[in-house]
Amino acid sequence: MASVANPADINPRQVANKSDKRAFLDAIRMTLAVQSPAVRHNTQTFNRNRYAATARLADYDALKDRAREIKQNAIANLPELLRQLEASVRANGGHFYLAKTAADADRYISEVLTRHEAKLVVKGKSITSEEIKLNHALEAAGITVAETDLAEFILQVADEQPSHIVAPALHYSRERITALFKRKFTTDLPLDTGEELTVFAREKLRQKFIAADAGISGANLIAADSGSLMLVESEGNIRMTMILPPVHIAIAGIEKVVPSRTDFGTFIELLPRSGTGQPLTSYVSILHPPLKAPPFAAPGKQPKTREFHLVLIDNGRSRMREDPVLQEALRCIRCSACLNSCANFETVGGHAFGGETYSGGIGGSWEAGTGKLLNARFSELCTGCSRCVNNCPVRIDIPWLNEALRQRMNFEQPASAAKSGFGAMTGSAAEDRVAPLQKQFFANYHVMAKGATRFASVSNALTSMPFVRGVMESVVGLDRRRKLPPFPKKTWEELYRTQQGRGTVRTDLPKVLMLADVFTNYGSPERGMAAVRVLREVGFDVELSAPLPDGRAAISQGMIATAREQAVPLAAMLMPHIDNGETVCVLEPSVLAMLRFDYAHLLDAATWSRLSKGKFVEPLQLVWSLTEGASLPDLSKAFPAGRSPHGKHVFYHSHCQQRTCNAATETIEVLRACGFDVVTSSVECCGMAGSFGYKRDYYELSMAVGEDLFAQVRAAEQDGPRTLVASGTSCHEQLWAGMGRKVLHPAELLVSTLA
Amino acid sequence: MQPAIAQPSLIEDFTSAAVQAVATVQLIDRSPAALRDAILQAVGDAPRILFAPPQELSASLFAEFARDPRVRADPTPEEMVASAAGVTEAFAGVASTGSVCIDISFERTGMVSLLAPLQIAVVAAETIVPQPRDLFREDVLGGRGLQRDFVFVTGPSATADMGPLVRGVHGPHKLHIIVLR
Repeated sequence: MASVANPADINPRQVANKSDKRAFLDAIRMTLAVQSPAVRHNTQTFNRNRYAATARLADYDALKDRAREIKQNAIANLPELLRQLEASVRANGGHFYLAKTAADADRYISEVLTRHEAKLVVKGKSITSEEIKLNHALEAAGITVAETDLAEFILQVADEQPSHIVAPALHYSRERITALFKRKFTTDLPLDTGEELTVFAREKLRQKFIAADAGISGANLIAADSGSLMLVESEGNIRMTMILPPVHIAIAGIEKVVPSRTDFGTFIELLPRSGTGQPLTSYVSILHPPLKAPPFAAPGKQPKTREFHLVLIDNGRSRMREDPVLQEALRCIRCSACLNSCANFETVGGHAFGGETYSGGIGGSWEAGTGKLLNARFSELCTGCSRCVNNCPVRIDIPWLNEALRQRMNFEQPASAAKSGFGAMTGSAAEDRVAPLQKQFFANYHVMAKGATRFASVSNALTSMPFVRGVMESVVGLDRRRKLPPFPKKTWEELYRTQQGRGTVRTDLPKVLMLADVFTNYGSPERGMAAVRVLREVGFDVELSAPLPDGRAAISQGMIATAREQAVPLAAMLMPHIDNGETVCVLEPSVLAMLRFDYAHLLDAATWSRLSKGKFVEPLQLVWSLTEGASLPDLSKAFPAGRSPHGKHVFYHSHCQQRTCNAATETIEVLRACGFDVVTSSVECCGMAGSFGYKRDYYELSMAVGEDLFAQVRAAEQDGPRTLVASGTSCHEQLWAGMGRKVLHPAELLVSTLA
Repeated sequence: MQPAIAQPSLIEDFTSAAVQAVATVQLIDRSPAALRDAILQAVGDAPRILFAPPQELSASLFAEFARDPRVRADPTPEEMVASAAGVTEAFAGVASTGSVCIDISFERTGMVSLLAPLQIAVVAAETIVPQPRDLFREDVLGGRGLQRDFVFVTGPSATADMGPLVRGVHGPHKLHIIVLR
């Protein structure tokens, strides 16, 4: 579609299919203009509640392991489980239908309803029914479908696709619902509060429940051993749908099948907590239909006997099961934790970060798996920040899925002489040279940076020229509004060579190899030197490694072969040090995460197993580790906050991947022990995320995400100014852009206390 | 096996979790008169009360309540959809969440617990289990949770779909739980 001038005029349906890039970019503009405040409020509420609710589960981690294991086994044994389930459903007296395609499912359901001469069907929330576009099929067969979940009711009135897998209309504020209903319905009711809107919808729908000929529901889980369903809800509409009408049709993807009803015990603890953050939602129904109690007989109507149909949908899932990457997505229990813990999702929601049905970090795999690969284009909004990873109740590595999708989308691109020449020059792996110039540019950042630092004054002069920025914007999509940090005149490696001096080495401490990550080496060597100095000050024997690229920049562009070509030599360089029992210290958290997690995907199994025995830490973790040792250093004497020219009051933002690595709290502890007054951010990610915030297509989104962080800084500074402190390179750049002030690394703050 | 006497801490946890979920909880002696008084106090001047006779608890326990002229144990369809209160037993309670478990396949229990604005659930203290997962164990409550069609009810029906949190949507607007010592 052509770009619409006013983003507020775009209907979400027009931009639902993201295989069209223009639609994708328009969707971002539309959601930022219209939906962002409601999406942010609702997702962040879910997110806070989830953290609180899961913290109260004493065995949260063990439950996640168990849940993952159950799903893993279920997917492995799926064909057998489906046979067993069919037998169970039939033994219960129900009907079983396995639909190969969406059209098969629609046809079967239409036929069942037509046979019953059904005119009106009440429907509970089912995202799977959106996938198969069931409502269209039923309406074409002359059947009226009443969506009874209030969110689905809103979407049916507005004719929009869901924007969230648990709360499909969470992009609507109360004010916008009032305006919508007043436009679409004739009523004297004021409809100006949540209560009034609810009463209005309830009364409309109560009549439908009573008159309905059939009910259609989804299913959160299905047990093969007994044909049992688990259905999670809060409004009571799903209960009505199952209990009142004589015919109940449940539809679900085949991945919802688990072996046994006893397995529900694990998921009932995890699913509501991971979704809305409630210990349980108002109603969790457990049943193996058909129910034995008679259905509701409307006044004057003949009582009927119950009939139950379980319609399971394949629609690409068997293919996903055979796909080594997409298979992971079949574990998903659709809790929405990955949506609610994602800074980009919190800012735009599923109408931009989503397709026609599925949304969020996990949504790309589902859109690709049940539709076309390019429908997953919105998964470009996954920055790999990894905040979802620890929150997923079945431990799906969602960033990896999106990186793999990105690789496949790169491979769909036509080759060109310019791209392959640029790739050869900058170090892209041969197979990655079809990737767009922009991706190859950012993937090989270190090559560009190395050249730029060699001629720093020339590079800095050039990149401050509007003409040059204009060329960079049109060739590689680097947004000209984004201020570029100046390239340093000397790299970390060079500074390290000229500023030796070991300090007093404590022989009881492990030897430390400091990894000269390329972001620090070519971008901010002063931070690297500060970290070296802090570690030496407390007695560590520190040596700096050669500056080898680690693959982070490449993997984030979906250039997995290139990332692998960088990971292999870096692992080889580290291996003797690891075998030697040294601790590897990593300043840049996104590189720390590579070594802790991502290399599992890049190295062969034997190398990964050897490497993962290594100890990879963040520098302030090392400092804090001393406080647990035999001879406790008094940090308030070693780095007295009172002596820092930056003052005692600081605002600290830890890096997203640093938090995923559980490597953030030590920094706060150290700073407080030194006497600093520390206020911390609570945002999931700053929004810069490596190259993401530099890209022209995403600049506005990146700054909108950042605004959440900037607002927290401003709030913290109501009582007076604070020094900005951050651990990640990207966070520095984003805070610098948003607050217009210098940002320090925690190590630089500590060094500033030294005489 | 079910314990003969409920642990007091489970009842306490159950009560505070149920209150957290915006239910009201009343602990009473196990007698027909006490149960009648408790239910009638909770329903106030409701003109009609739906009642689903129990499956687990003894019918005699409800006998005095059932004599109230407003009670409908065998309602017409019109009465089913237009009554102020619905009374059922719950075959289990859950301490960590304050939930009550109600059978939905036994006669009209499912409808009675769903259609009226005020839901009253009567649960025996000794059937309160620590966590939701316990309902999926063979060795708890004789494995009833693995055999039955039932619903975990945690507070009244609710939605945040219209913007702010609203209690009372399609299902009951209020939940009152009577725990029998």
